[in-house]
Parts: sequence; structure tokens; C-alpha cells
Amino acid sequence: MSRTEPRVDEAIQRIEDEGQGAFVESYDPDDEVMTINMGPVHPATHGVLRLLLKLDGETVTDCKPIIGYLHTGMEKECEDQNWRGAVTIVTRMDYLAPFFNEHAYSRAVETLLGIEVPPRGMYIRMLMSELNRLTSHLVQFGTQGLDMGAMSAMFYGFREREMITDFFEMVTGLRMNHGYIIPGGVWEDLPDGWREQMDNILEVMPNRLNEYQELLSENPIFIERTRGVGTITAEECDSFGVTGPIARASGIDWDLRRDLPYEAYDELDFDVPIQEQGDVYARYQVRMAEMIQSVALLEQIVERMPEGDYKNMDPKLTPPPRSEMNRSMEAVIHHFKLVTQGYVVPEGEAYFAVESPRGELGAFVVSDGGTSPYRCHVRDPSFYNLQSLPIMARGGLVADLIACIASLDPIMGGVDR
Amino acid sequence: MTSTVRELLLSAEWAERAPDLRDEGWMLLDLHGVDRIGLTSEADDRGRFEIVCHLVKRDDASRMIVHVGAEGDPPTVASVTHLWGTAGFAERETYDMYGIVFDGHADLTRILMPDDWEGHPLRKDYDVGKIVIDFKPQPFLQIEAPGQAPSFGESEVETDALGQMKQDGADE
Repeated sequence: MSRTEPRVDEAIQRIEDEGQGAFVESYDPDDEVMTINMGPVHPATHGVLRLLLKLDGETVTDCKPIIGYLHTGMEKECEDQNWRGAVTIVTRMDYLAPFFNEHAYSRAVETLLGIEVPPRGMYIRMLMSELNRLTSHLVQFGTQGLDMGAMSAMFYGFREREMITDFFEMVTGLRMNHGYIIPGGVWEDLPDGWREQMDNILEVMPNRLNEYQELLSENPIFIERTRGVGTITAEECDSFGVTGPIARASGIDWDLRRDLPYEAYDELDFDVPIQEQGDVYARYQVRMAEMIQSVALLEQIVERMPEGDYKNMDPKLTPPPRSEMNRSMEAVIHHFKLVTQGYVVPEGEAYFAVESPRGELGAFVVSDGGTSPYRCHVRDPSFYNLQSLPIMARGGLVADLIACIASLDPIMGGVDR
Repeated sequence: MTSTVRELLLSAEWAERAPDLRDEGWMLLDLHGVDRIGLTSEADDRGRFEIVCHLVKRDDASRMIVHVGAEGDPPTVASVTHLWGTAGFAERETYDMYGIVFDGHADLTRILMPDDWEGHPLRKDYDVGKIVIDFKPQPFLQIEAPGQAPSFGESEVETDALGQMKQDGADE
């Protein structure tokens, strides 16, 4: 140790002289606490998260998340769009769970408009949401494995995700940032052949989930790295507004789909997986169990998919079909008004929250009676979950911090908006 | 979905009400600002800015939205970071976006915008697109003078005050 110290001092001196404090922010050899900068560009921080770490040797004594590197002012951009166009902005916030952003926003606007969504529209929304929950958790599964050194988890996770994003592409035309769920329903009906594709997914997924169980869940190295690491209690979750799988892994029995049901979730039968330990492994187990529940939900949704309209057919809200416009002058007028101006939403405010893969994702919209949102705020779960990272990281090793970040699953697009 | 309770408070009332709400078991989920300058309804003496707090109580699955007016210049509201950790990031974001000062917040700095940014972007009078985006000076990007676009020589097209090209033979 004594041999290396002068070299560290030299390095610090050089950094101070040359003004390159990018890596070591401060170093005091007497109390042996070193402040180190991690990120914003680091493979383990899942985007552009920057962490200021206080280290005592290899132990993290404090950790401060610094965010804002991906801030693009999306909430402000929404104010320049019409009500339909803002969907294309909010979908880009939490880019791994785009359907949930659209869903929360659309439901908030529907609350202001006071309109109903036809049953088929509701079921398509639930279908896409549960598939999206699978893709999001699969990315988390893959990156969690990758950060722990189990690279094959990434390949397996992305193989199944690919199958589902193919389905998204078939239905919405896009693999991410769909803009598919709109106020009033969904943009397009399910295409021909969707049932065969879904049956294929539902046939393959249960076996694949078992494979993951063998790959990571019973892997002694993975268990060693994750059990008892990054613990957070239920009280701390409550204090920091932590929701979703992280809260459920600490024993908080709360899921918006069951406790404040929206769409037709109250007609479906599913369990809410709970774990008590509150560590990284418990969060992993909750997500794995949620994927199994999502597959069970998908089977019921596909079975019960009703016929009929897939969006609210009010001509003031939905452009008329092309065939109608060739015959009816009124349809042409409606189309012109909707395309050039958009619809008007009555004055007021509404908040609606859905259960996203990361917790409560809520949209708060204010209307001044015009054709564009006066204010559109999205409560992104990652933003609040990230605040609990210092609690998880304190007292652990740097390698444990990597496991904590992976288990938090923060999406910086949603954090910074 | 159960109905949501809605409360309108002044900032002084919020400082008294918040500890009671916490003791009743309400959990703060979200806190953000609204600039009400363009809204005609609910015109009262609560001022131009307000913060909106979203609370949830899991026991009876109920929700509450609390609107707190931010009076004064700069608009000021009592911080609730000592009650709910949630408010730490949320109040910093509200300060960053609206310039609402939270009295008692330990680390009220910008969170999304750069530290040396001027203005508060989500205010309705913030000039979008009218401000020259001039990032920190970087020597290799300096062309002639800060804030000046590179010149491409003398333009041969005559333009009027609005930048429209002048038509030949158009008599005024």
C-alpha cells in the first residue's frame, strides 16, 4: 500500500495541474475516502446515468445519482402538439415500455373528454401492454445477467424479445415508439393472422421461461452475487415513492391492475407475485414471476378478444374511413378539421396511472379548452425509483452497486424526459 | 376506479397539512409544477404558479391530488423532503422547470438542465426557439465570434425586414 501511495499522489497532482478531474474527483489519503465519478457513459449504468461515489477501499459509503444527460424537454414539446400528436412524444419517454406511456396519457385525455373505449379497444390495449411487459422484463433479465457476467442471458432474453417485437411490427408498423394507443382506443385493428402469431408466442414462451429458471435462477454464482445485496425495506420504498417490482420484492402488496383496476383487468384472473427479502435476487424473482403471470393474462386476453369497434367512432374524434369521404361532404369536413386542427378537449385536468413494468406510470394533463395540451406531465417510475439507489448501494461493494443498478432497471429516457 | 379527493391549498396551509397527511398514511407519489397564466378557470388569489402533489393511500386504495399555490417572487413553497424522500428529486425538478423555490430543501439545484442555464423552460413565457443555443465555448468550434453564424460571403439576394426575398418588378 505504501509503495503505491506516492504514485496515487502524483496522479492526483497531475490531474489537478492539468485540470482533468474526470475520474478521481477527490482523494484524501488520511481518511482513505475517495470520491469517484462513474458515468455518464459507462456500460453498466444503462444509458447516461452518472454516479458520484464515495469509496472506502472497495466499499461504497455514499452514492449520488446525477441525471439530466438525456433531457430533451419532452413535456414542453407536448404543448406544441395537438392531442393526438402528443402521443408520439410521450411514447418516446420510457422507450422500453412505450405502450404504457401512450396508455396512461390516452386514459387521462379520455377522462377529460368523458368518452368510453369499446371492449375490443380495451382488450387490444391489454394485449399490447402485457406483451410489452414481457419485452421490458426480458431486457431487464438480459442486462441483469450481462452485468453479473452471464452474457448468454442477454442472447436468450433478446431472442424472445425479438419474437414479440416482430408481433409489434406486424400490428403497429414499428418495433418501438409505436404511437398506437390513442385517445379513444387504438389506431388500427389487429391485422389478419395476428392470432396465429400470438398462438406461436404463447406456445413458445412458457418453455423459454423455464429455460431462464435453469440458466440464472438456480445458478449458484448468480445467487451468490445477488442474495442479500442491495436490500431496501418496505418503509424505505414508501418514503421514496418506489413502486412496481422493486416495492413488491420488499413485501408491498400493491399492483394497480388489481387494486385500482383499469380497462378490463378486473375480468381477468391473475396473481400479484410478492417477495419479502427486498434484495436484488427478490426483485429478479418478482420479475420472473410477473412474466409467467403476463403469459397467463395473454392466454385469457386472446381467448376473450371481443369483436366490434376498436376505437371510439365519434366523428368529432376519429377521422372517417376513406370510403365514407368519397360519398359524404360531412365526412370530408370532419376529416379536414381533424387533420388541420385536431379535436378540442374541454377545460380541466386529469391524472391517470397504469402499472408499467417499472411501477406506477401516471400522466397528468391540463387542458385550457384548446386543441393541444396546456400541460402534460408524466410521472415516470424510473425517476423516483432511482432515488432509492443510494440506500441500496450504501455499505456494499462497487460490484454490488452494478447489481443494484441492473435490478432497478432505470430507463434514462423516462428519468430525464 | 375510486374517486380522487382534490384539495386546493395555500403554501402556508401546505406546511401544516403535509405532516398530518403523512401520519394518516398517505404516500407521496409525484410532485410537479403548473404555470396557470393561460388558464381562465379557478381564478383566485393563489397566484400564477402552483405545485401539484399526487398522494396515494394503499389501505383503502384512495388517491388525493393537492394543489398548492406558490405565492411571492420568486414563488415559494415549503419543502416536504423531511416527510417524504420522494420530494427530493421532484422538488429539484420543479425548481429547475418553474423556478419555484422550496423552503427547507437541502440541495435545491438544477437537476435536468445544466447548472449554468438561465431561465426556467416550462414557464409559459419562456421563449422557445428565440434563444440562441450557445453551449459552453469550445475552442475548436469557435468560428468568428460567439453567437454568430459562419458567413458564406455577401448574399446577392435582397431581402426585406422579414427576411422575405424581394420580388423583381414588384412595385410598392
